[in-house]
Amino acid sequence: MNYRNRVFLTAVLTALPLLIVTPAFAADDEFEKAEQALASKDYKTAIPILEKLVEADPDSSRNASEYRQAILRQSIAGHPKEGAVLDFDKEISFFEKQAAAHPNSSNIYLHYGFAYVDKIAAAGSITQVILANTALTQFTKSLELKPTWIGLYTRGNSYLYWPRIFGRTSLGVSDLERAYAMQKAEPKKSFHVRVYISLGDGYWKSDNIDKAVAVWREGVTQFPNSQPLKDRLSRQGEDLRAYIDNVLDPGRRVDTDLRELWGQP
Amino acid sequence: MKRLVITAGAYLGCIGAVLIAAEATGARWFEDVTKKAGINARHGNRVFDNPYAKIMAGYTALGASASVADYDGDGFDDVFVTDSKLGGKNHLYHNNGNMTFTDVAESAGVANANDDKNAVADSLWFDFNNDGRPDLLVVRFGHNQLYQNMGNGKFKDVSHAAGIDGYKNAITAIAFDYDRDGKLDLFVGSYFQPINIFNPETPRFFPESFETANNGGGVTVYHNNGNGTFTDVTDKTGLRLSGWTLDLGHADADNDGWDDLYVAADFGTDRFFHNNGNGTFTDITETAIGIDSKKGMNVDWGDFDNDGLLDIYVTNITDDYMREGNFLWHNNGNLTFSDVSRETNSFETGWGWGAKFFDYDNDGWLDLYVTNGWVSAGKDSYVPDIFNMVTKPGIDFADARNWPPMGNKSLSGYEKKKLFHNEHGQLFKDQAARHGVDSQKDGRGVAIADFDNDGRLDMFVANASGEPNLYRNTMPAGAHWVQFALQGTKSNRTAIGAQVRLTAGGSTRLQFISGGNSFAGQSSNRVHFGLGDVAKIDQIEVRWPNGEKEVFTGIAVDKLQKIVEGSSKRK
Repeated sequence: MNYRNRVFLTAVLTALPLLIVTPAFAADDEFEKAEQALASKDYKTAIPILEKLVEADPDSSRNASEYRQAILRQSIAGHPKEGAVLDFDKEISFFEKQAAAHPNSSNIYLHYGFAYVDKIAAAGSITQVILANTALTQFTKSLELKPTWIGLYTRGNSYLYWPRIFGRTSLGVSDLERAYAMQKAEPKKSFHVRVYISLGDGYWKSDNIDKAVAVWREGVTQFPNSQPLKDRLSRQGEDLRAYIDNVLDPGRRVDTDLRELWGQP
Repeated sequence: MKRLVITAGAYLGCIGAVLIAAEATGARWFEDVTKKAGINARHGNRVFDNPYAKIMAGYTALGASASVADYDGDGFDDVFVTDSKLGGKNHLYHNNGNMTFTDVAESAGVANANDDKNAVADSLWFDFNNDGRPDLLVVRFGHNQLYQNMGNGKFKDVSHAAGIDGYKNAITAIAFDYDRDGKLDLFVGSYFQPINIFNPETPRFFPESFETANNGGGVTVYHNNGNGTFTDVTDKTGLRLSGWTLDLGHADADNDGWDDLYVAADFGTDRFFHNNGNGTFTDITETAIGIDSKKGMNVDWGDFDNDGLLDIYVTNITDDYMREGNFLWHNNGNLTFSDVSRETNSFETGWGWGAKFFDYDNDGWLDLYVTNGWVSAGKDSYVPDIFNMVTKPGIDFADARNWPPMGNKSLSGYEKKKLFHNEHGQLFKDQAARHGVDSQKDGRGVAIADFDNDGRLDMFVANASGEPNLYRNTMPAGAHWVQFALQGTKSNRTAIGAQVRLTAGGSTRLQFISGGNSFAGQSSNRVHFGLGDVAKIDQIEVRWPNGEKEVFTGIAVDKLQKIVEGSSKRK
């Protein structure tokens, strides 16, 4: 089950506001040095720098995300396809230490959860479920410390990928409804479209088709160029079911490269 | 998909007009004749009587198997069908020649195998003493039984004398002549390690991991000494393993004349062993197929794309809560394989069990029947229970006490069987519903044979805790075919391991004789080729198990032909 990629993508898309509001590190020399090293695939240089940056500023989602991506890229470079379990174990261990050192950092717990998600693709099918479940535990801790939009969206979206038999769809809908309420109280941002998509998917997976269509339609009025929303609204019945089943297929892989957030190649 | 180069010629794509017409109508080509044939005895799962019985009940719904051989040499394939419940009788169904069967197990002396110390898991026909009469191995959780075919409708228990009756929790067996000494050797795969599961002294006998378990029963290799006895040569051959073996499959992957071995393991990594040709094997798993962590259930070999190399089909578990996907290992010809299951639509078959390649429509392409389904019981699902367990931190999976009882819950139950029609080696299209072979019983094994000798391959499906299904192939006549019954003289007499290359219509195709490949099912050892509308065979080349080749010509179609090693005019 590729919870990793889905949650990762969620992170990519939803971390944007935090990144926007924490631009200070963009000018950070060390961060730039790490980015340059990453650009040349010099992971041995980049990773220690990013680790120090996370340690120094645990509330920086950008540093933490970039650190995880560095680990991921390094692992995949050494072990094509899915990376190596041991690499991700180091990543988990790193965030475990950070969580111990910064027990009140919502951001650290969020990325601690992502660290488990990062490992999923490299693991077997049962371990994937265990990892996804552990990731949810960390996301919950993050939310308990600070109920952020990104935290709610990440956890809510993650719940949607669990098969119905686990009964977690309603939990996902609940989180996404809270994220929806949050964004309604804020000025519109481009990434808010994601909640319209996912919340509708959650309603659909709860067999509440009317509410799904309603939220997708509302999303289109806010984001008329959203192809995912148009795709959903243009389908009905089995066609729509096949489409969303495909989107929420636990086996589906999604490109989750976080560099795109920073507008880098 | 370009690597699936179609090398078979035009004749394979030219199905007879009659066939095409029938295909267009969507007519049903299989008839369920189970009851009519008198072959409908119900299988019963073993219910254990120990402190872990409620837990074990969910994990031992096994033992339904079917093995085909013409044990009495009357020209009609018979079938041995197992039961597993305490006191349950096995069935030796003698083929009456008119698509009815008579259970002669009691009079033959092979009915009794399920007692308080043994539960039947599988069976295998193999001529261990090379006398031309198929002998019978009954595979058990407990002590295996070897019955010598006395040739008068009676069998004699020679298990102890043969030296194969040590305690094992065996679940599968195949036989082939790995060292080419002319005698069939025995390969036994075991699920649990050799502890007494009827009265375990420890609760720690369950798999220690869902993906890398190494506390299973592994493989045992018995070398046939040629005097009615066997010697355990597991270490000598390099096949000492500790995985949770579910199936074994042999064939010559690299056409070097020596049969290689695929080991399918539950809860861990399948293994691929290359036969070194000197009585030993080398584990080349990493380079051949890579390291997986899936639930290997079945191994069958067949050249599905007619490129002259034998490919492998392995079933795993694919459900919404566990999406492993099957393996269709395309043989690259250099002792490496590529999984093409997704591209060919053979990836998803639910909780897979026995699967078998065969050409049901005689069009020259190997089709595939796949059984599936674990436990079909009540409407409640066992999935949440099992995942509640696996997500508990630090849980010891090996301890049976930690596993939740299944009770009357279902797990991957009521799954529809698949009959994949081979679309010219490129794609498999499920035709099970059309042909009425999409039963939702908990299938375990499938055995293929032409029970009525009409040139159309029939199917016998063994189901756990249920009646079997005998599907008679009633496809409209028209497509040509040919069958070969091979007899070794220098090679093992039943010619297990022989390869047959048939040339007709400008192309050549490959079949081989397996010694029991496929989980819980042993198919006829006749070699069957569907020929479509080609009515003339140019030649066949037989590569006997000892490596020697013979070419035969002047072979008529639409007949069963007997071929004896050394009888050709030219070699």
